[in-house]
Amino acid sequence: MEIKKGIAVSPGISIAKALIIDSEDYRIPCRSIEASQRTTEIQRVRNAFKGAIGELTEFEAAQDKTEGGKIKDIFAVHLRFLHDRSLRKKITDLVHSDSVTAEYAVSTILREIAAHFSKVKDAYISERAADIYDIERRLLIQLLDRKREDVEHLTEEVTIIARELSPIQTAGFNRKFVKGIASDAGGRTSHAAIVARSLGIPAVVALEDLTESVSGGDTIIIDGNRGIVIVNPDDQTIQQYKEYSKEFAELEHKLDAIKEKPAVTRDGVKITLLGNIEFHDEAEVVLQKGGEGVGLYRTEYLYLNRRSEPTEEEHYQAYAETVSVLQDRPVIIRTVDLGADKYTQRKRFAPEPNPFLGLRSIRFCLQNLTMFKTQLRAILRASVLGDVRIMFPLITNLQEVMQAKMILRDVMDDLGEESIAYNKDIQIGIMIETPSSALTAFSLARDVDFFSIGTNDLTQYTLAVDRGNELVSTLYSSSDPAVLRLIRTVIQDAHKAQIDISVCGEMASEPEYVMLLLGMGIRTLSLTAPMIPEIKQMIRSVTVEDCNNLARKVLGMNSERQISNYLRAAARKILPEAF
Amino acid sequence: MKFADFVCFKATIPELQAHDRDGAIAELVSSLDKAGKLGKGKCKELAGAVIKREKEASTGMGKGIAVPHVKHKAVKDVVAAIGQSSAGIDFSALDKQSVYSVILLISPVDEPDKHLQAMENIFRHLQHEKFRKFLRQCRDMVQIEDLLREADESSSL
Amino acid sequence: MQAEQDSLEKVVCETEVEIKNADGLHMRPAMQFVDIANQFDSDITVSNNETEVDGKSIMQMSMLAATYGTKLKIKAEGSDAAKVISALRELVEEKLFGEPAP
Repeated sequence: MEIKKGIAVSPGISIAKALIIDSEDYRIPCRSIEASQRTTEIQRVRNAFKGAIGELTEFEAAQDKTEGGKIKDIFAVHLRFLHDRSLRKKITDLVHSDSVTAEYAVSTILREIAAHFSKVKDAYISERAADIYDIERRLLIQLLDRKREDVEHLTEEVTIIARELSPIQTAGFNRKFVKGIASDAGGRTSHAAIVARSLGIPAVVALEDLTESVSGGDTIIIDGNRGIVIVNPDDQTIQQYKEYSKEFAELEHKLDAIKEKPAVTRDGVKITLLGNIEFHDEAEVVLQKGGEGVGLYRTEYLYLNRRSEPTEEEHYQAYAETVSVLQDRPVIIRTVDLGADKYTQRKRFAPEPNPFLGLRSIRFCLQNLTMFKTQLRAILRASVLGDVRIMFPLITNLQEVMQAKMILRDVMDDLGEESIAYNKDIQIGIMIETPSSALTAFSLARDVDFFSIGTNDLTQYTLAVDRGNELVSTLYSSSDPAVLRLIRTVIQDAHKAQIDISVCGEMASEPEYVMLLLGMGIRTLSLTAPMIPEIKQMIRSVTVEDCNNLARKVLGMNSERQISNYLRAAARKILPEAF
Repeated sequence: MKFADFVCFKATIPELQAHDRDGAIAELVSSLDKAGKLGKGKCKELAGAVIKREKEASTGMGKGIAVPHVKHKAVKDVVAAIGQSSAGIDFSALDKQSVYSVILLISPVDEPDKHLQAMENIFRHLQHEKFRKFLRQCRDMVQIEDLLREADESSSL
Repeated sequence: MQAEQDSLEKVVCETEVEIKNADGLHMRPAMQFVDIANQFDSDITVSNNETEVDGKSIMQMSMLAATYGTKLKIKAEGSDAAKVISALRELVEEKLFGEPAP
């Protein structure tokens, strides 16, 4: 039995057999093969090329013609490479001469070529290295195809073990069979962690060398409350955990009971609790947990994990379904926040060196108006079905707001000409998640209907920390005085301009911040559905007066440590069982 | 889409005579008409359409730029004309500041994507302070054309 | 163009061409070159002064990165050597890969 300690990112207990999966950067087994297997292996290489060519040809055909030359060029180049006999020959020659697996040969040869390309002085050529990596990936996907099936066709309960998980992979997990998740890498606020939480799957990350200590089929206990993973536990431990698990389920049940009760403080102030969703079928969970609407509908998932861009109809269907579940409750749809992720970076001819600060989010949309327009059209069409509001992410200045609104107006004109109904008075808001927008909130407030503070990115940009980087993730903290001061500024500016304001980042789902946020003037929180009962419990246990006092005290403190300790102590007094 | 693909350099007005928004728009429309870019007799109708839209929602983007635009059957292809005013014109812009550079954009009714591509291009370059500054400093048609062609060549100015 | 007959079937044809389009032998021209080369049976080698590559391989041709003004030697070996040399020469020097001259 081995006990490993990591970071708890999604609460709960699970006991199930391990299923180890590879991350997107496939770990290639440098496996040698018998001389007699060489012919089979060479055939595998040929089949992989054939499969990749077929896949790409399909892609190419499915491309929207209006995308124009650029994407078609990418396909043309990749297809030529895949048809290149000398490339295939190099790979099969290696299989033959060194008796290695197809995967190893593909990876070795292509990486050699990519390295060669990067050295060439001509920038155009050296950028082609990225294409070579893409081709490598495509071929490996063909070769490792059977492994991916493992996750999609589960028949029994498992614990997923991986080196690292992307949010897309995590989102694809079937809750019925995936009972627990553990990974070597990752941090508290990585996207995969957020997804695990909203799916209610216990998860522990940052275990560093877990994948080396586990074999497929080992019994794994995931303790998502304390951040512990136990490999091959003895009978006594299993028994202990079974009991612990029961207790935890009872606590959850207790919290569920307050679903019907209103989110009102002890001194009668109503707080609105909304849910953050990433997939339209999470809307149900929001209502189940007592949420009063959706304060943040992240729409990136419509673009990820698929081959072509979603059509307007696909957008519309997703939005319409969500609205039909929520009926006349507010649904705030955030336009696509893509760019810094692998999806868009891979599509580029030359990946950006610093995607975090690059062409992402609203900037990406303003440079890809066809795609942006498609989403806006769908949102506007859905706006007649309920209380739909639109929100633009990562706004840094007034021009971006203006440009986005101009495009929205153009789209409205189009719909009007086509006699398609939409809500002319749809509320338009922005996410405040950069220092620049926080510091100019007073002027931005004049031209939008509401703000929502994205504390995750606001914290990252303000403290200059990448929350996904385990080397510095401990520096990320919403208790930092700098972050709190910015949040206070934004709230004050919103109140002065008399526009609605909410907090939709992780901060809103953490019990120790409830009093502070209320004390700073927030009356609407949008958070991950599973945490709504607990946050409501906090709200119902405090008075706004106490919150104001606490906020005043905290905003006078200078150290992050002091603040977070103080907040934790105060919260523990109110709701001891949550800590 | 590059500036050279849709901006009618012949129709550039380095110093607009009009000092008011509607006048400036009419002047630019007229300029495009003289350059032969509009269908016969569409001049007044088009100017009216642009002004009407502008009244409904200002296209003053802030930082001294306005991008009045409309889709209209008066044109067969996307076309734009640039006009500048050293004194500044009130376009009821977001930042309440005067507008010094006006980019009038007219798109054909059935080519929505070309319209978007032109807008993308305008957005991309007008984000750069240097570009806006240089544009404002241009004194004549040739300078403006050179600036735009240069911008087309390099991705950043 | 020199034609030598090694045997009854195998013909060797060589020619020298100069890159005349402004952007040189970047990806799109390289693709056109390789596409034409692959339509014929003959083996094709292309060389600048430093390296020799297989004219039918996009991988190798794109590594040449021949700029405007570069002179390349094309050698074809096979029954249709003369035809392919002619086609390639036309592509590079007359059609300029369908690209603008400087």
